[in-house]
Amino acid sequence: MQVKDQFDFVRQHIRKNKLRVFMTVLAATMGTAFLIILASVGFGIQDTLRKEILDNRLVTQVEVYAADLNAEKAEEMKKIDHVNAVVFRQNVGTWQKSELDGFTTYSQLTVSDFKEEAKAGFALAEGRLPKNAQEVVVGHDFAASLYDESAEQTEQATAESDEETSESEPQPAYREAVIGKTFTYELGNFNEEKSFGQPIQLTIVGIAKAPAKDFIQDSRIYADAAVIPELESIYAKGMPEDNEEPLFSANLNVYADKLENVKSVTQVLKKDGYDVYSISEELDQIDVFFLALKAGLIFVGTIAILISSIGIFNTMTMAVTERTREIGVMKALGAKPKLIQRLFLLESAWIGLLGTVIAVVLSYAISMLANFVLPMIVGAALGEDGFSDLDVTFSIIPWQLVLIASAISLAVAMISGWRPARKATQIDVIDALRQEL
Amino acid sequence: MITAQHIQHSFKIGKKGKERPVPVLKDLSFHVEKGAIVSIVGRSGSGKSTLLHILAGFLKPDSGTITVDGTVTSDFNETDSAAFRLDRFGFIFQNFQLMPGLTTFENIELPLKLKGISRTVRKAEVNELLQQVGLQEVRDHYPNELSGGQQQRVSIARALITNPPVIFADEPTGSLDSETEQEILALIRSLNRTRGITFVIITHDDEVAAIADTIYHMHDGVLAAGGVHHAG
Ligand SMILES: Nc1ncnc2c1ncn2[C@@H]1O[C@H](COP(=O)(O)OP(=O)(O)OP(=O)(O)O)[C@@H](O)[C@H]1O
Ligand SMILES: [Mg+2]
Repeated sequence: MQVKDQFDFVRQHIRKNKLRVFMTVLAATMGTAFLIILASVGFGIQDTLRKEILDNRLVTQVEVYAADLNAEKAEEMKKIDHVNAVVFRQNVGTWQKSELDGFTTYSQLTVSDFKEEAKAGFALAEGRLPKNAQEVVVGHDFAASLYDESAEQTEQATAESDEETSESEPQPAYREAVIGKTFTYELGNFNEEKSFGQPIQLTIVGIAKAPAKDFIQDSRIYADAAVIPELESIYAKGMPEDNEEPLFSANLNVYADKLENVKSVTQVLKKDGYDVYSISEELDQIDVFFLALKAGLIFVGTIAILISSIGIFNTMTMAVTERTREIGVMKALGAKPKLIQRLFLLESAWIGLLGTVIAVVLSYAISMLANFVLPMIVGAALGEDGFSDLDVTFSIIPWQLVLIASAISLAVAMISGWRPARKATQIDVIDALRQEL
Repeated sequence: MITAQHIQHSFKIGKKGKERPVPVLKDLSFHVEKGAIVSIVGRSGSGKSTLLHILAGFLKPDSGTITVDGTVTSDFNETDSAAFRLDRFGFIFQNFQLMPGLTTFENIELPLKLKGISRTVRKAEVNELLQQVGLQEVRDHYPNELSGGQQQRVSIARALITNPPVIFADEPTGSLDSETEQEILALIRSLNRTRGITFVIITHDDEVAAIADTIYHMHDGVLAAGGVHHAG
């Protein structure tokens, strides 16, 4: 029998039992759509989380930890493939205090290599980079961190009598531009919280650009390496003889050129004996978790498909029973058992295929609707502004999911059509012909 | 053309575990010449249909061999048997056995479809045959829109469409009135003459049996030539 005639044959039978086939297709559709939608929520949440993580951090950053980080090691790391920048920062680790026009801040002083910083995304909002030991760049939020210490104390006194209003009262902050200003910077003993009494003068020549994320505050004082000797000598003089704590604590970040290369850079660093942390590790963990979650969801969805397969099994069994005489005649005329089997398998495959196609289309529609409607509902429940800036995707249907669901649905349709089809081939010609019309 | 040798067949009846064999065919041998019309008569339950089923390959005999045109068919598996039937045999049944969902045209076309013949060739061949057996007027009718005689004509046309050398007929006129019976018999006779088709006809009816070149009588599980002849 030609393939086209086989399809004709199947179509003819389906047309004769429209309602029954329709109901079976409906069940197959519901099962498959359920699977796709369920799993799509897994994909959606994963995507939302990934986006959240990638948005909030420097994705190409690899944090490197080791006890003995130094500039030479930083130089070495620059040679690793796909490394874009190695930012070696030395942060003052002891008590420190800055005073500008009577305003105070305890912002940390950091010595860094501005060339590498620039490659890693550091930029100035105004001014220029420091040229000598007396010049510094301050973070975007440095000015905001300045406050009037004496006013603060009186305020704390009033706060005791009236706690509620004190929180909302604005702090007496510094309101002038800090660029061009010179301030005093002094080091002190951490334990005693007391200055060594040897202040130095630093001039602000530049202000760093605000960090990409508005919840990250940058009130650091960025100084050139030229300042190190002076600070070291003040520190050495101020601290007791037996002090072993260094003034600076190092902090090293390696930046890969692309997100894809973070992993390889991480691996090289690990092999070199460093402890590293990068976003790719976190993403890996999330991906593993979601792989398990999605597998679980697909499994649950598959159960729905299995339930719908009972419908296909029933429909096909009915179809075979109903057509026993016709099958007998076909066999008597010379239809081979294989052909009979194929005709019935085609029919169940067609039901499965139709159910799958409709389910895929339906799932995309439901998914789109859910992503459109659900944020509005949740937003309304949480109050307008609470949710509006959260970018949540509830459901995503990637092509892999469509492929997996279709494969499962079609396979289940074929399997549930298998026994009825076998039954059709085993029909005895003589018995079938004996059946009354 | 067809040779049956030492055919034995029995059916098992009774409840499972307590079955007992009921022998129906007992060492039956017979031969059908090419181009002949052979009829088999005998009492109801004597085993005529059983013999036909064995000859056609619907049923395997317990023992004995069937040879058709030099090919031993009694050893065939289901698939080979089906292929052989499609190629060599045509069937006419008492209750026509037409497909209720197919029109006259489509019913006659069915064996050609099974053979995998292309649509255009099928169309030409079916139309030609419709002409020959006088069914053009009802080509788009479904079986339930046809008279018994017309239905049997359709079933004969279906048997003829593949041009088989042998046609088996089990009570071909059993459901028809005598006038229609005459028409069908005339058609069979003319097909035998013009196309040289071999017919094996099973019947109760002496008039039907009378068109045969040889009449076999089924009795006690074997065939005897020159059976009862009450014609006239
Ligand atoms: N499947 C079966 N199982 C058990 N016994 C059977 C079976 N088929 C036929 N028989 C028995 O075999 C015998 C022969 O049956 P068969 O149908 O060949 O008779 P027949 O000569 O064609 O009769 P009729 O003229 O009524 O059609 C009968 O006794 C019948 O009961
Ligand atoms: Mg009979």
